[in-house]
Amino acid sequence: MGIETTDDERGLSEAGVPPVRRIVVDGETPPVRVAHRIGNGASPGLDEPFAVEQDFEAVWVEERMRIESLGVRFGQKEAVKDVSLQVNSGEVLALIGPSGCGKTTLLRSLNKLVDLTPTAIRSGRILLDDEDTAYMDDTLLRKKVGMLFQQPNPFPMTIFDNVAYGLRERGSKRPGKKALEPIVVDALERAGLWDEVSDNLNHPALSLSGGQQQRLCIARSLAVRPEVLLLDEPCSALDPISTAIIEDTIVNLKDEIAIVIVTHNLQQAERIADKVAFMYLGDLVEYGPATQVFNAPMAERTKDYVRGDFG
Amino acid sequence: MPSLTLEATGIPEEVEAGDPTNRRVELMLGALASAVLLFIAGMIIFTLIKAWPSFANNGLAWFGAGGNVDQQLSDIFNSPADPADYVYELRAWPLIWSTILISGLSVVFATFIAVFSSIFIVHFAPTALQKLIEPVVKYLAAVPSVVYGLIGILVIVPWINNNLITEQMRASVAYVIQLDGSSVMAATMILTVMILPIMIALIVDSLRAVPLNWREGALALGVNKWRAVRTVSVRAIRPAIVAAAVLATARALGEAIMLAMVAGSIGFAPNPFDGILFLFEPSRPLAPSILDGEEGLSVVPFGETMYAFGFILIVSCVFFSFSGWAIRQSLSRYGIGAR
Repeated sequence: MGIETTDDERGLSEAGVPPVRRIVVDGETPPVRVAHRIGNGASPGLDEPFAVEQDFEAVWVEERMRIESLGVRFGQKEAVKDVSLQVNSGEVLALIGPSGCGKTTLLRSLNKLVDLTPTAIRSGRILLDDEDTAYMDDTLLRKKVGMLFQQPNPFPMTIFDNVAYGLRERGSKRPGKKALEPIVVDALERAGLWDEVSDNLNHPALSLSGGQQQRLCIARSLAVRPEVLLLDEPCSALDPISTAIIEDTIVNLKDEIAIVIVTHNLQQAERIADKVAFMYLGDLVEYGPATQVFNAPMAERTKDYVRGDFG
Repeated sequence: MPSLTLEATGIPEEVEAGDPTNRRVELMLGALASAVLLFIAGMIIFTLIKAWPSFANNGLAWFGAGGNVDQQLSDIFNSPADPADYVYELRAWPLIWSTILISGLSVVFATFIAVFSSIFIVHFAPTALQKLIEPVVKYLAAVPSVVYGLIGILVIVPWINNNLITEQMRASVAYVIQLDGSSVMAATMILTVMILPIMIALIVDSLRAVPLNWREGALALGVNKWRAVRTVSVRAIRPAIVAAAVLATARALGEAIMLAMVAGSIGFAPNPFDGILFLFEPSRPLAPSILDGEEGLSVVPFGETMYAFGFILIVSCVFFSFSGWAIRQSLSRYGIGAR
């Protein structure tokens, strides 16, 4: 057993990206101990590349979900073709690719939300903690695999009721407000919204700004303590400052929760992702560490896309 | 080749300064709307003026109970010809109580049924069934009420009389009233069916208008479909449910023909203290009372009494509209829907 140090500095300094070093302990099947950068303190400015501290912290990277030759078709149209991927806790996985490439469909397959579309037919397997999700109860799966949508969608209720919603409606017995309060406060704190709303938990959630609404939705998902969090272009409807705050929140969360994010914004993927999957017309073209996909992509298509030649 | 100019096409180069069209349309539409409002206000005032002698002669006792209301109406109808001797005495409570009872029960039942069947139609029914049910339900709103009355009098009333009313029941109230099946129950059942279609149509539309986003958000939290619909969609459309209930109340208050046929046409106040039996007691709401009094309208004091009934109905409808609006205002703070 030896420690292999991969140096990802190749080509990075020209791009102005601070180097990221990985220490991979090999000889061990997952869980694999990987050291990777932390630096959640300051939110990276949007124009400048990573302002990440040069620090190392050991984090367990552990497989949460495994996608095995997943295919999704809507009637005659194949949206996702034979995709195999792995979703690990302690990492952010970004799905990138041009519009209509099937990344959102893939994401919605992970919590079986795609099944709501009557014409959708799924093939292949998706495992959550080695259990086939096809045989899991939808509600159980969705408690473990939370999701955030493109448009902030807080319910038309108070802020408190929004965060407490998932816990209140999960079983036949509704917990009281007293029991819920610490969980609601904790969820709002982790979503980075507590300071802004602590005085008005009883205000309508729809009176919040767009960015606050999206963080409220994060808090709502966190309150049910998911293992995996799916994010479907969570920042596309938000301004740059809200985006930066949400990216910060995401990076802060990844140590506890496996995160999969669909994004059109390559800079965003570069800023927050550890692994990147590039999809094109339903095919998974490339999957690997973010630095590799962005700086030394293997496939021509990926190269064109990340260079901005099409998309 | 010369570039195409607007001049060649005959379209004016510039917008005419002070284009009068807008102004003209505004005035026309405004005048139309004002005319409608004026007409309604005029009708209310006219009815009140016509009804005034009946109210003035009875004071607040008009709304109270006392004596036999049918006997009083008959005395009014048989008033002497001399205006000085006109009889006005009336204690209208049995008619008012009948109106409240039948309309209230129908609206309560119909609201529950409409909410649940709308949820079924929108969220649980197979698509083919949805496509069948919805137009059929909407068509039911157009069935003439006299047809409902006919079915009521030929089917529902005899059925209640033969199957639900026991001899003991008949005997226990025999010294006050005859039970023959024409009853609060028959009237409520049929009125519920009559006001359902409009309520379902309104609630289905508003359920469809709830953003899919919200339901998906609830489902993504691991909440099951029924709970997601109940706690998010139904909650969000509460203002629309209130609006539907108000509309249904107005329809129920104004229903005359069907109620005249099945409610019993007796000025009797069903007594809830009679227990379940009171559902089988006959009564007559205000609107069918006007219908029944139709041949006596030429008798001045009788006509004025009918105007008084009409005025109470108009004012109740206005009152319900305003309170419905107020409730919707307070509900829509957290929701969407009709404002």
